[in-house]
Amino acid sequence: MILLEVENRILSEVLSSRASETEEIAPVDMTVADFDGTMYHVSNPEGDATKVLVSISVPFFHQLQQFDVDSFMKGIYGDMVTSPESGYDFSLLVDISKLGANPEVTISNVARLRRNCFAAVFTKFFQMQKDGKMDSIVLNYKEKETMFINAMKDRVTVIFSTLFTDKDDIVIGKVFMKAFQDVRGRNPSAPQVLFGHAKDVPRELEGTSALTGDNVGYVTFVLFPRHISDDKMDHTIDLIHTFRDYLHYHIKCSKAYLHQRMRARTSSLLKVLNRARPDAEKEKKTATGRTFVRK
Amino acid sequence: MSFAPAPKPKPTSTLQPYPDAVRSSLSAAMCLQNFASQVVERHNKPEVEVRGDEELLMNPVVVSRSDKESVLIEGSVNALRVSIQIKQADMIEEILCKKFMGFMMMRAENFVVLRRKPVPGYDVSFLITNFHTEQMYKHKLVDFVIQFMTDIDKEISDMKLTVNARARICAESFLSQF
Repeated sequence: MILLEVENRILSEVLSSRASETEEIAPVDMTVADFDGTMYHVSNPEGDATKVLVSISVPFFHQLQQFDVDSFMKGIYGDMVTSPESGYDFSLLVDISKLGANPEVTISNVARLRRNCFAAVFTKFFQMQKDGKMDSIVLNYKEKETMFINAMKDRVTVIFSTLFTDKDDIVIGKVFMKAFQDVRGRNPSAPQVLFGHAKDVPRELEGTSALTGDNVGYVTFVLFPRHISDDKMDHTIDLIHTFRDYLHYHIKCSKAYLHQRMRARTSSLLKVLNRARPDAEKEKKTATGRTFVRK
Repeated sequence: MSFAPAPKPKPTSTLQPYPDAVRSSLSAAMCLQNFASQVVERHNKPEVEVRGDEELLMNPVVVSRSDKESVLIEGSVNALRVSIQIKQADMIEEILCKKFMGFMMMRAENFVVLRRKPVPGYDVSFLITNFHTEQMYKHKLVDFVIQFMTDIDKEISDMKLTVNARARICAESFLSQF
């Protein structure tokens, strides 16, 4: 698995297993974690197992209010939207018996709840660019880490400020970010990627509340109108909002792989060292199988 | 008159003198004998670590390939200390080396001759005492140190390559989605 999934696998399995259930539907009550401190709560309101309440809590939800998130969500989920459960930011009431004409699409939409929270911001900014307006926002999408979105006359830039908690991560992170910058040349359709680290703060971030500091990496995506045209937009959002997790996931993976290699090499060197020990005197046998002890 | 092509040099020939020099210096230094402490009765300590008496220590030898890659061999009457400085060309090799050596030194009790902490200025140290040379073949101990040096070098450059390759593949598969 190289690319991360946009849907939440647990949510979609919980719902689709219930949708295909021919016998009695089992009740559900679970809390599911997703990337960047997102939490889902899946439960049955008033003990009715055919109705599933999916609530989401995302750290940056309060920032979405200014973008009219409620009507955006209404546009996607229609009358599934209900008043948010206490302790969560947004809730959907899914009636298993009435999933509509295309249950799979409905379920996949519900499982993309987190993605759609991001989409609320991105669509707004993409639209602004198309209307020729300019604006920017610093989205605190994860505790401490920020995403800066800037709509300009001819493009939209997205700058991730990502924090590396471990100082070794920053070195591996740099290799990865460099690769993103270099590889881009071979995919002319891909957006331009720039990266900086610690001192090279992108100029756009000056005077904003975006995260800056020593252990911070900055990745800039420059999205041109061809990336945010109506037919490409959804796909671009899918990719951009997973980028931070994608980067960190692969840094962790390569560290795990390196560790595995070190383990293997250590044990092979141990074998070499043990070869230096003389073999213990073995019991010797004659051709007929009798043993004798040398005196 | 025909020009016969010059015989191809062996691929390792340029690097070979270094391990060879280490091997011969190490074999010479591996001349250890049991020697009880002159200060404390019934104590037997590696003199190269105690450094109590000048006359029990040999002159240290440094074999180096470059300013970033060298081996320090310190001998004494009953113990010998080999410290290796591993080549680190950039940041990524530095952290790989640091991690790898840390990983090894945490397992020092399995490695018997490995010192838990490197000598300052070096990345990894071995302490070989007369008890080790009595229990193990000396020439095989030398082989081990040489193999250790070459393997670590190879492993670190391999690991660096795989990190780069992985980064490239990740970036490619992400960006080709657009």
